[in-house]
Amino acid sequence: MTEKYEVRGVFEKKGRAVFISHLDLFRTMQRAMKRSGLPVWYSEGFNPRIYLNFPLALALGVESGCEIMDFEVVRQMPYDEMLDAINKVLPDGIHFVSMSAPISKNKEIAFSEYEFRLSSETLSPEEVSARFDKMMSLEKIEAEKHSKKKGMILIDIKPNINVISKEIGDNCAVLTVQLPAGQELNINSNVFIEALQKYCGIDDLNISTKRTKILKNDGELFV
Amino acid sequence: MLKDKIEKLLLNVKTPARYIGGELNSVVKDKNKVDMRFAFCFPDTYEIGMSHLGMKILYSLTNERENFWCERVFAPDVDFEKLMRENDIPIYGLESLEPIKDFDFIGFTIQYEMCYTNILNMLDLAGLPVKAKDRTALSPIVIGGGPCVCNPEPIAEFFDMFILGEGEEVNLEVYDLYVEMKKKGASKTEFLEAAAKIEGVYVPAFYDVTYEDDGRVKSFTPNNSNASPTIKKRIIKDMSKVYYPDKFVVPYCEIVHDRAIVEVLRGCIRGCRFCQAGYIYRPLREKNTGVICNETKSLCESTGYEEVSLSSLSTSDHSDIENMLVKLSNYTEEEKINLSLPSMRIDRFSKELMDQIQKVRKSGLTFAPEAGTQRLRDVINKNITEDEIFRACKLAFDGGYTAVKLYFMLGLPTETDDDIRGIAELAKKICDLFYQNPNRLRGRHIQISISCATFVPKPFTPFEFEPQATEEEIKHKQEVLLDATRGNRNVNVSWSKYRVSVLEAVLARGDRRVSSVIYDAWKSGCKFDSWDEYYNYNAWCDAFEKNGLDMNFYACRKREYDEVFPWDCFDYYVTKQFLIRENKTAHEAVTTPNCREKCAGCGVNRCIGGPCFD
Repeated sequence: MTEKYEVRGVFEKKGRAVFISHLDLFRTMQRAMKRSGLPVWYSEGFNPRIYLNFPLALALGVESGCEIMDFEVVRQMPYDEMLDAINKVLPDGIHFVSMSAPISKNKEIAFSEYEFRLSSETLSPEEVSARFDKMMSLEKIEAEKHSKKKGMILIDIKPNINVISKEIGDNCAVLTVQLPAGQELNINSNVFIEALQKYCGIDDLNISTKRTKILKNDGELFV
Repeated sequence: MLKDKIEKLLLNVKTPARYIGGELNSVVKDKNKVDMRFAFCFPDTYEIGMSHLGMKILYSLTNERENFWCERVFAPDVDFEKLMRENDIPIYGLESLEPIKDFDFIGFTIQYEMCYTNILNMLDLAGLPVKAKDRTALSPIVIGGGPCVCNPEPIAEFFDMFILGEGEEVNLEVYDLYVEMKKKGASKTEFLEAAAKIEGVYVPAFYDVTYEDDGRVKSFTPNNSNASPTIKKRIIKDMSKVYYPDKFVVPYCEIVHDRAIVEVLRGCIRGCRFCQAGYIYRPLREKNTGVICNETKSLCESTGYEEVSLSSLSTSDHSDIENMLVKLSNYTEEEKINLSLPSMRIDRFSKELMDQIQKVRKSGLTFAPEAGTQRLRDVINKNITEDEIFRACKLAFDGGYTAVKLYFMLGLPTETDDDIRGIAELAKKICDLFYQNPNRLRGRHIQISISCATFVPKPFTPFEFEPQATEEEIKHKQEVLLDATRGNRNVNVSWSKYRVSVLEAVLARGDRRVSSVIYDAWKSGCKFDSWDEYYNYNAWCDAFEKNGLDMNFYACRKREYDEVFPWDCFDYYVTKQFLIRENKTAHEAVTTPNCREKCAGCGVNRCIGGPCFD
């Protein structure tokens, strides 16, 4: 058995790269790892593949500054060298910001923090913000969520919306919100967006989304 | 900005990564620093177009030149097209995300006849009139190339110019001329007149066609003194020296052929009489092993692909194939890359070759005997014997294969019911061979898939004179085959739709009058005709009727040797006398040896000034 060392990379996904789906991202990264020339570990078997693991998927169209990719190397080398090697060969919009040995376990992932920028051509940012408050004052906020067992189900997501901050930005309302993520309960950013569209009553509501943090149950960063 | 408009819609469509560019190795330049912008259009979806090697070569070749910028354009899928039209988004280049209407050239690579309506649709999405005569400004110049251009007459009305043959040299000559003339403020006609003097360039507006009362072509004559009566195709002489990209654009989403591709040779020595590629790409030119290995290495390194495939019409005909495969697999094994070898001829299927292929990956085995009996295989000059098929199958079964795919054509010239039953007999014999093989994989049954295409006679083949079988004839042949295979559970039979093949036959040998039919079919909603779910046969029938033309005249009519064909003015170096000779030999069921064994005198060596082989 070859000796191998786990590495956790944190990367940004932005610009045109937000349209790369999760499955496509996997392939994109495998190829990038291959081009980088890093001593990555291949799975064994008839068709050896570069081993990669993404503990938390990101919805299509969402920007992120904190995506996680785990891989393994068969030879130890400085993390900043690995960082340089991979960043040199990545397509525009994907960029690693750090590499280190993983500390947290995948199952510790509990929340994602997002920044939602809400804007409208017809309403002022203050009015948009007020509509959001109105939504949050409702007794129930029901949204459709995909369940593996039951297909599409309607759930009340109000108890799961943790609003961290609410500001008025450049022609938009900026919400910082934490949503449950990980294996226990996962509320995808799209589920929240769907609720916004359903309850805010703004026809031309425009939302841009960015994931800013991946957190553990104790509120600490997943690292 | 157009980019913002596009991005807003992308989350509402399937596989948005197809519409936003930004892929690794895509080339972005400053538009203010280039003299010529080229929109390289593939008239089908991203997944298909991005798999095409010719586009990769010409994209990189053009972008190598600092003052040219070539971008990629594909047909949007129907869901995105609808949104584009609703939101006034014109078709754009994937690199700049800017409308192609403002480019200098809009170029189409035309790989199959069934994409013609997509060309019109893309021009329309660009916001341009689809007919060349309605586009009077110098730019954009709409230009076409690719195999279908050997008879471009059915689409002549839509194009300003065509390039015949291989593009690596002539394209740059055309672009340079354009840049020079644009600076001088030339008109479109002035540019086309100058371009027409370049070998390989065909400007359809500079020719008049007249017809006999019965619809056959009577004459094809230049109406402009700059146009020559015949147009020669262009040929690259040395494959080892011609430009080849060291980078491919690496797509994010899955495409049909998602791998590095290295071209190993052009042309084919076999002379299968149904195969247009076997004639229009002549002569055979090999790339040397060293060059192939270097190209493989640089492509794999720059893309990170985990698979590389060798591309040609017949890879095993490379004179250095065994050495090449050893050298290549040394590299690919070390790098954990799959080496795939399509287009291998079974008569070259040696144990060594088999082992090389096996080392890489065990997949299904595909043979294309094309016809069920030796007599008919002799007619089509598919020089493969039953024994060779059995020998290759035995090797494959020894090696653990349990699935064999067999490709045939129905409706070949001189075909009888016995030839059809021969297909079933061949399948039966392969089954028996499997169960008699002591080394076969135990506990598994053999699975034989018989896949039948309808034969489509193509220009520049010895069968260009032949009628396509009628729908009734094909139906009968299909029934004969079903009868003959009934009860054999190891065999399953499938076939292509006749009503698609018949249109392909019309478009392949059509004349200029067919342009109006294509226009009307497109107007009535036809697009993606090669896609089952969109093909609308009735709309095509209506379009023919409206224009007073008969599909059968083009598809199912036998042509005499002295008939003037719409493509007679295009010189692919293969002479009509040779094709007539081969047609006669075919009807005698006599084969012609491959070009290495004996020169058949096709005429192609006129272009290289001597024999094709030492």
